[in-house]
Amino acid sequence: MENHRRFDLLATSFPGRLLSWQWGRLSFQIILLILAIFIIYDGFTGPQLAAANNATLLVWVHYRGFVILSLLLIGNVFCFACPFTITRSLAKKVSSHGRRFPNVLRNKWVSVAGLFILFWLYEWLDLWASPWLTAWLLITYFFLSFALEAIFHESPFCKYVCPIGAFNFTYSTISPFQITKRDSPTCRTCENKECVTGSSESLGCGTELYVPVIDSNMDCTFCLDCARACPYSNVSLPARTPAIDLTTSRPPRWDLAFLFITLTFMGVMNAFGMVAPIYRLHEWLAIDLKIQSEGVRLLLIFGMGNIILPMIVLVLAAWASRLLNPRASAVKLKNIASRYAPGFVPLGFGIWMAHYGFHFVIGGLAIIPVFQSFVLDHNLTILGDSPNWDVGFMLPSSWIFPLQVAVVLIGFAVSLYVIGRVSLQNTTNPQYAFQELLPWAITLVMLTIISLSIFNLPMEMRGALGFGT
Amino acid sequence: MRPSRIHKVISIYLIIGAVFLPACARASQGEETAADVNIELTVDPSPATIGEATLYFELRDAQGQRIEGASLSAKGDMSHAGMMPVLGDSEEIGDGKYSIPFEWTMAGDWILTVTGELPDGQSFIRTFELTVSSE
Repeated sequence: MENHRRFDLLATSFPGRLLSWQWGRLSFQIILLILAIFIIYDGFTGPQLAAANNATLLVWVHYRGFVILSLLLIGNVFCFACPFTITRSLAKKVSSHGRRFPNVLRNKWVSVAGLFILFWLYEWLDLWASPWLTAWLLITYFFLSFALEAIFHESPFCKYVCPIGAFNFTYSTISPFQITKRDSPTCRTCENKECVTGSSESLGCGTELYVPVIDSNMDCTFCLDCARACPYSNVSLPARTPAIDLTTSRPPRWDLAFLFITLTFMGVMNAFGMVAPIYRLHEWLAIDLKIQSEGVRLLLIFGMGNIILPMIVLVLAAWASRLLNPRASAVKLKNIASRYAPGFVPLGFGIWMAHYGFHFVIGGLAIIPVFQSFVLDHNLTILGDSPNWDVGFMLPSSWIFPLQVAVVLIGFAVSLYVIGRVSLQNTTNPQYAFQELLPWAITLVMLTIISLSIFNLPMEMRGALGFGT
Repeated sequence: MRPSRIHKVISIYLIIGAVFLPACARASQGEETAADVNIELTVDPSPATIGEATLYFELRDAQGQRIEGASLSAKGDMSHAGMMPVLGDSEEIGDGKYSIPFEWTMAGDWILTVTGELPDGQSFIRTFELTVSSE
């Protein structure tokens, strides 16, 4: 992708120069590091009421809302400014040259497992209701990222372990900006490949992406180390058609295909965790199946919804696709699954946006009284004598459900477009293409109906007081 | 990275955690005070369902005598961050009973913090936890 005529974010005086400045990333990271320290401080010392604590509010309402917005409007901004990787440079200094991350773990299975555990703990321990646990979650993140950066060469934490990174990588595929080369001849004659190996000025790409061949935002942390390291200033960040890399062919991989699918299912299950039917399911498991442990019940519910079901859907849809297209009978299931699974990304993004957007719209302004309360707790009255709890929603409440429907349906439409494009790439026969995409389209329709049905139900925020109270 | 360095790094993290652990109490933590007041809460409708409601309180002192002339205010918080609290002030019904018009804005778990001031100037805080259903 050469983009001489496209708008290049790095070529702008602002924010381009700031972003590609040697300390550009670090300055953003320091801001988020200060915020993280503030979150940890308030999480431990502030009121242990989620609605009145900056830790729970900033992590579970603002962070998630801004992540979705930034992925939609710019790209993987939060990996760019991630404070957890600020320890990367520090770790590299205190450690000797680390070993390679084990081959068997050089895939997305670890981060899929991390996502599953994170969402399970989120529900079981009610992380969203506990400032104290939220603070510990951040400390754990700092510790893990530092340890892995120190032990291993490259950035295995970002690429193979971090669940948040896996989420951001996946949904940055719909983002409107992507790293690429300015021109090909410069890269062809480049001897040292500083964009990936690093230079005296900057580290190379932590996730080992080589700029001339980047055709997707997948695995790109937007750190811009490549741009800083390139001695020819040949790295650009041009605008592109959002979601275009979902239709490009990539090496067939079960782990990546499963990540795309399961994140969509996780979006549905995460929303399902907040509506009345899940409590009926809990009652049934507790009373009829005598499973008294909430953790075990949630493990079963989320194990089924986030692992087993998406795995069955992935394999079954690929099998049905092969069955329905006579010309695909010799194609491996992995190849078909890898081609169509990216089609779930836009719908998954729409579902996450509908859910996180809901919390952001109704709770975003709560930061005003919660921060006022924090300041007052420290005997400062610069923000008033009492917190103003009457700040309201960001948008009229009557707009919320129509907006949720709209974002889910837009996601669904883009997903259909993606699988339509993919189906026509390998055959010129429209009938065979239609037959091949049919199982995937049916799955997308079903997920859309289920997610809209969930958003149509009144949300219930239970858990902190214990099941059955 | 040498093992001794790893141990040092882990130790630093643990020390940082330990420093934060003994949480300093802050004003907004709203610890319950004034143990000599017994408060009984009744919710109408009961069990609590989403929508408008009335909270009824009955105040008694340590001897079981009803307390008149107090003023109460209630703040209802949901267990999830980002949910706006619902606020209400009391009206005295008489005979040590008080009511607060309220609204359960969403189904789920609520933490009700009641702040009161007695006729003799003493103040107190009590918290109640309850679950509001959607139907």
